[in-house]
Amino acid sequence: MKETPDRLKKGNSLLFSIILIFCIFGAVVFAVSHKISKQMSESAIQNLSESLDLLQNTIEAILYSQAEFQVLIAQEVARAEDPEAYIQAYERSRAMTKLSLILTGKTEGVSNLGEVFTAEDLDFSAGGTVMDLPVSQTYLNYMGTWSYTIQCPIERDGQTIGTLYAEYVYDAIDQSLPDGFYNKQALLYIMDAESERFVLKPKGMGQRSAGHLNLSDFYRANDIQDPEIRAEVDACLESGWNLLFYHNIRGVQALNYMWPVNGGTIFLVGYVPLEAIQQEGRSVNQHIMIVVASLLAAFSLCILLYYRNWRQQERQRAEREAERKIYSQQLAEALRAAQIASESKTVFLSNMSHDIRTPMNAVLGFTTLLSNEAENPIKVREYTKKIMASGHHLLSLINDILDVSKIESGKVVLNYEPFALNDVISSIDTIIQPMTRAKEQEFHLEVTGIRHEYLVGDETRINQILINLLSNAVKYTPEGGKIWCRILGLKQRSSQFEHICIEVEDNGYGMTPEFLATIFDAFSRAENSTTNKVQGTGLGMAITKSIVELMGGNIEVSSQVDQGSLFRVELELRVFETAADRRFWEERGIQRILAVGGSPESRENMLALMADTGVAVDAAASGAEALEKIRNGGGYQLLLVDWEGCGLPVVRDLRKALPEEAGVVLLTEFDPVGADEFLQFSRTGVLHKPFFVSAFQRKIEELWDMEARGGAPEVQDTDGLQGMHFLAAEDNEINAEILSELLDIEGATCEIVENGRLAVERFQCADKGEFDAILMDVQMPVMNGYEAARAIRALERADAGQIPIIAMTANAFAEDEKAALDAGMNAHVPKPLDMELLIKTIQQYRL
Amino acid sequence: MRTRRWSSAGLAVLVLVSLTACGGGDSKNLVSHYTEETETVNLFSPMEKTDPDAENVARTASDQTVTMAEEALNVTVVYRTYTAEDYQDKTYDEVCLDRARNNMDDLYLLNPDTILALGAEGKLMDLSGLDSAKNLREIIRTANTVDGKLVAIPQEVVAYGLFVNKDLFDRYHLDLPETPEDFLECCRVFQENGIEIPVGANRWWLETFVFAQAYAELYNGGNTEAEIAALNSGAARYSDYMRPGFEFLQTLMDRGYIDAEKALVSEAIEGEGEDFLAGKTPIVMAYWGAANTDTAYGKTDFTMEVIGFPSRLGQMPVMPMTGWAVGAEAEHAGDAMAVLDIITSDEALSLYSKINRVISPSKNVSVECVPALKPLNERIEEGVYVLGSNASMNVEQWGNTCRIVRELLGGATVDECMAAFDALQDAALNG
Repeated sequence: MKETPDRLKKGNSLLFSIILIFCIFGAVVFAVSHKISKQMSESAIQNLSESLDLLQNTIEAILYSQAEFQVLIAQEVARAEDPEAYIQAYERSRAMTKLSLILTGKTEGVSNLGEVFTAEDLDFSAGGTVMDLPVSQTYLNYMGTWSYTIQCPIERDGQTIGTLYAEYVYDAIDQSLPDGFYNKQALLYIMDAESERFVLKPKGMGQRSAGHLNLSDFYRANDIQDPEIRAEVDACLESGWNLLFYHNIRGVQALNYMWPVNGGTIFLVGYVPLEAIQQEGRSVNQHIMIVVASLLAAFSLCILLYYRNWRQQERQRAEREAERKIYSQQLAEALRAAQIASESKTVFLSNMSHDIRTPMNAVLGFTTLLSNEAENPIKVREYTKKIMASGHHLLSLINDILDVSKIESGKVVLNYEPFALNDVISSIDTIIQPMTRAKEQEFHLEVTGIRHEYLVGDETRINQILINLLSNAVKYTPEGGKIWCRILGLKQRSSQFEHICIEVEDNGYGMTPEFLATIFDAFSRAENSTTNKVQGTGLGMAITKSIVELMGGNIEVSSQVDQGSLFRVELELRVFETAADRRFWEERGIQRILAVGGSPESRENMLALMADTGVAVDAAASGAEALEKIRNGGGYQLLLVDWEGCGLPVVRDLRKALPEEAGVVLLTEFDPVGADEFLQFSRTGVLHKPFFVSAFQRKIEELWDMEARGGAPEVQDTDGLQGMHFLAAEDNEINAEILSELLDIEGATCEIVENGRLAVERFQCADKGEFDAILMDVQMPVMNGYEAARAIRALERADAGQIPIIAMTANAFAEDEKAALDAGMNAHVPKPLDMELLIKTIQQYRL
Repeated sequence: MRTRRWSSAGLAVLVLVSLTACGGGDSKNLVSHYTEETETVNLFSPMEKTDPDAENVARTASDQTVTMAEEALNVTVVYRTYTAEDYQDKTYDEVCLDRARNNMDDLYLLNPDTILALGAEGKLMDLSGLDSAKNLREIIRTANTVDGKLVAIPQEVVAYGLFVNKDLFDRYHLDLPETPEDFLECCRVFQENGIEIPVGANRWWLETFVFAQAYAELYNGGNTEAEIAALNSGAARYSDYMRPGFEFLQTLMDRGYIDAEKALVSEAIEGEGEDFLAGKTPIVMAYWGAANTDTAYGKTDFTMEVIGFPSRLGQMPVMPMTGWAVGAEAEHAGDAMAVLDIITSDEALSLYSKINRVISPSKNVSVECVPALKPLNERIEEGVYVLGSNASMNVEQWGNTCRIVRELLGGATVDECMAAFDALQDAALNG
């Protein structure tokens, strides 16, 4: 941070230096350019002066030639016998337009034009001469053009016998002048000094404009009114000096001149635009500017390239620096993470060691006690019960550790299948209700706003989420506390997905903010397990979070110490499109149902879920309203009564008001205490909350079918495994012995084989019906359980496809169960063996 | 990538500049001999003496037609100009005569009297063979024909009229004058109201009053040819026609409506224009184009109208004929004829009339005039006008009348002026 002002300062200095260099460079260029311009201008002025001198000399040479020629003619005339005849015979030329003679003593003479000549109109008063011969004022001659006359005496024998007058036109001079100079941009007039009249003018289209009449007209037209200049002009006219001055002519800066000819009798007047004079200078300056521009361009290019290169290097350096920083940071983080992980794992291992050793201590300790108290059946039962509890705790501990390990290694694959939300809730209710009852806690299960009951997802993992959260709530809520499980339907983001929110709330111990910050971290606990009276691995929340995130959902928690906790999980599950089973209702003659009591939300939820069934569902907030609807000829075939909201008297009144064939289902959160009398009626039953169509259908099916069977409920075979004979593939002798003993306790027998191959062979040669089921371990030598199951199913026996094969393995994960089913087995029972589960499973699939 | 592209382009330019600087011809002779040869046509015309920054649309229009000819023929038209410095100088017409008689130029812009004089002397080419001559209005052809030769073609029909300050007329509740009597009455009212000299005049254009009164009935009475024939034969006297106009001028001078002394030494517009533009003088006389050009009366601060001169037949436009002529023995007569053919072609005259908004001599070209000229134009459109020059009369009108009016201004009596006309007529009759 401290670098920035320094760099800014350096940048400013550099910028200032560059500007300074450019300024110096510019000043040098300007000075050179200015000097060149000045020199070129001086040179141009010199050049113009020389040109004007040349013109002056040319005109003077013409005048002298004319004078010399006239002297020669005068001499010829003097020699002529008849001078007047000589003159009259003389041909006029383009230059000399008239030749006249007046003999001495006469006032009139003759001219070569044949007319009488007098000198009265000629004005020699100005005193102009050429070679000492008088020159007249300029005048318009008989040809309508400007001319002058030179007077020359004719002398014979030293006596003046007459005067020769020769008239010359300025057009003749014009023919000897250059056809424009300075690339025809210069303007040249010949002015008669005495009259200031322009007697020779440029001949261009613009020359009809004003300003070409005389000097005054020229200055008026060209706005040369500066008194100083006019004074200089007057002085020039008087003295016959040369005059050059700058003045703008019609917006163009020009060099004006007045150049006397023949001692100032006539003047060259005009101007040259500076552009024309300084053409070379401007060209040189232009080239200098091109060179300067090129240098600047090259310099700028160099700076640009240097700057670009510098920036590139700077960028690379910055990138390297940033990269290095990131690496350092990553390394530091990795180190920190490794240290934390190491510390966590150390703590975890310490905790695990403690947690494993604790139940293990109980197992071993009670086993020792058991061996001592073998004769005391009461003690034996007590000790075995405690050994069993410790074993179960150990099992859950191991399951959690394995789950975390699997999630962290990314091996967990979600098994997306259609499922009914009702099944999940029933399963949870079945598991959690006994736990809460044991701790005398109130457990409320609510479902609101769910639009679709059938969804697609990993049912097992959703179960796991709910069980983890709820078992946590049970654990960390004291006896007599309350636990709520709410499943809420949120606003759908897409019609194809049900957006659900699972809320698990308790009014238990709550958590400190510090613990909240680490609650989802694996291998960490807010409280050390040595001081925690509640048994747990500390991995449940980490597993839950991982599963939720794996499902694309999110989990959050809020909690206050001694106030309780609220876990909130949001998930989006794809809707499983099923056609509503309208026939179900039609077959049972149910067209109208009345929902009575309960909260408005639950009634709305019910109506929403029943919307596609084709059954008209009415709702009544109270028993009285329901009675009124029934008496008003509602024609209901079924009443769905909220037990907690209505109570027995209301239900009784409703039952009486209904026709006998109509059914009544009590919707209850808990077991309906005191409803036994009422349940004796036909088509009357209990449905546990929350309401789901599938559960409702099952209940109706049960009630209607029961009636069809004569009212006797289906007697479930509770005979266990008595008399059954199994083929068991188990390579572990102890496990085999345990299985054998346990089955024996249940009155069943089994034949143990050591691997899958033997199991296949034994079944192949068995008599039909010899075995009731095959209990198949998975990890076995020679042939594993999956291969064996496939082989058995592939046998060409009639019962090869029907004999129940139950996987019985320590591979206890969902994917293991899936693998077992894929291999053709009917069910999966994990080890350690839960006999109740085994019996239930066998009964489900018995032939 | 972008920087690299720009860098490459910059370097390429530098290399190109360097290579260009190193290039050059290998010839040992450093003088270039290439010159484009073009023929030259010398054109003699008057020079402006007014403000050089003012726009002269008439000249601009003329110059554009000349440029058209230069481009079409690959010739250079060289202008030679003259204007008198003051009244003591030779007039433009005099210089024209001198130059044409001495074949100094090829193409001349001539006034009516010089057309007639030079035409009679055979110094001008017959232009009737030009293509552009075929499009001329008949009156133009007649007025410029001398001894059966069409000796001049104008680019515009020049019509003279009275330029009046309508605001002043309105201020004094005066109707625009129709007759000489009306005119005198207007002058009287103006003078009574403090305008000492109601009519601005110069030494050139006062004869327009004379022509309007002299020839109003001759040109508009339905017997023009017979009356001219009578004049040419001597059966009728020019002095009889001219007398009313001269007497009218004499009245104007006697009553002080015209400053004769000033008029005698004033050039056209120079003398009277300033006071007219300043609103001091309510009436001046000028030609049609003066209403269009800033160098004359194209931009006034008051409402200006151009009407005909007072006559017994009402307001009467006076139309002399100026025109371009080619010297019979001009050095570049052929090129000059070709130039003239182009600058008087329908295309050139359309351009000219469009810029200048004047009446075109071509029967194929028409143009809308400026509002101020409408009264004058209406009379011309009605066919009511008098000619200021007519080559079919054996006494030149425009120049001679101008000269004799100057004599009147100089103090000659009306009778003396009439005697001058009689002398001219007698001289013409005597050959």
